[in-house]
Amino acid sequence: MIDDARRRGCRNQNWVGGDPIPHIPFWLRVLLYEKENMPVFFNTNGYYTIEAAELLRGVVDIYKIDFKYGNDECAKKISDAPRYMEVITRNLKLAKQYGELLIRVLVLPNHLDCCLAKILEFIAKELSPDTRVNLMDQYTPHWRARELPEINRRLTALEWKRALEMVREFNLTNVIT
Amino acid sequence: MWFFYRPDAASALEDPGVLKALPRYVDIVKNRKLAKFKIARMIGIEEIPTENLKELWEIHKKAMDEYQRLERLLDYGKIKPSELPNFSLLHLKSAIADKLLESCILCEHRCKKDRSRGNLGYCKVGKEMFVSSYFDHVGEEPEIVPSFTVCGRVDRPN
Repeated sequence: MIDDARRRGCRNQNWVGGDPIPHIPFWLRVLLYEKENMPVFFNTNGYYTIEAAELLRGVVDIYKIDFKYGNDECAKKISDAPRYMEVITRNLKLAKQYGELLIRVLVLPNHLDCCLAKILEFIAKELSPDTRVNLMDQYTPHWRARELPEINRRLTALEWKRALEMVREFNLTNVIT
Repeated sequence: MWFFYRPDAASALEDPGVLKALPRYVDIVKNRKLAKFKIARMIGIEEIPTENLKELWEIHKKAMDEYQRLERLLDYGKIKPSELPNFSLLHLKSAIADKLLESCILCEHRCKKDRSRGNLGYCKVGKEMFVSSYFDHVGEEPEIVPSFTVCGRVDRPN
C-alpha cells in the first residue's frame, strides 16, 4: 500500500499518531517490506529518548518536530512533559545532525514571552537562522483546554502580529507563515 | 489531483528555502538519492547470537559507522547500490525495537511497561499498532504534499 502511494506520486510516507514514537517498532517492521524509494517523514512532538533517536538514525529522512514550549513549567503544566527543554533541545540538535529538520511552532495564546521568544532564540542561536520553521497561528482550544483558561481561546490578531515581529527580531530567514 | 488543491506544492521542490533546508529530501523525491532506510537495508549483519540488549546495541553502533560511510559513498555516486543481505541493519533496528517494548523506554516518560505482552504504556499503546486512518495528505507544508499519511492510534480498551 505504501509502495503504491509512491508510485502514484506521493512524495513521502508520513508517520504520525497521536505521536509516532510508541509505534516505532511497528514502523520498522513495515519498512522491511517496502520496495520503493520513499523518504520517511517523522511527524513527532519530539519527546523521544536517546535510545529511540538511535533507532531512528539511518531511517528517518525528515524529522518534523513540534517545538511548543520555551520552558519546563509551561510544558509540565499543559502537556505533562517533565524535563521538556532538555529533551527537545537535545533531539532538535540530533535531528539536524542525523537527517534534515523541519520545525513546527504552534503559537499558543498568552505564551509569547515565556515560550515563543525562547523557542525562536534557541532556533536562531543554537541551530541556525536558516532552519526551516513553520509558524502556525491556527491554535484552537480542544479537549481539556478549558481546564486552563490561559489557553482556552484562539490567538488574537495582535498576538500574531507580535509573533511575526519576533521572527524578524531573531533574524530567522526560512520561516513559513 | 493534489495540484488543484495545492498549486504551491508543484514548484515547492525548487523553492530556495526548501533546497537550503531539505536538499537530500528533494534528491530522494527525484530519485537521485536513496531514502535512509534503503541504505540501512543494504548493510549486512553477520550474525545475531544474542538476546542481550547491551550486546545488540554494540553491534548496532558498529553497523551505524558502516551506515555513515555507505551513505556518503552512495550520495556522491562513488558506488552502486549493493545486493540486499538476508539480515541487515534495518532488521537489527527492528529486533532492538521489539526488545525495547518489553520494558518500554521509547518516549521520555520511560514508563517501562511490558508492552510486548499487551500492557498499555503511558501512551496507551500496547503490542500492536492500530491504524486510525491513512490518506494522501495535502494539508502539510508545500514541499511535503502529497504525503502518504498513516495515523496510529491508542489501543481499543478491552
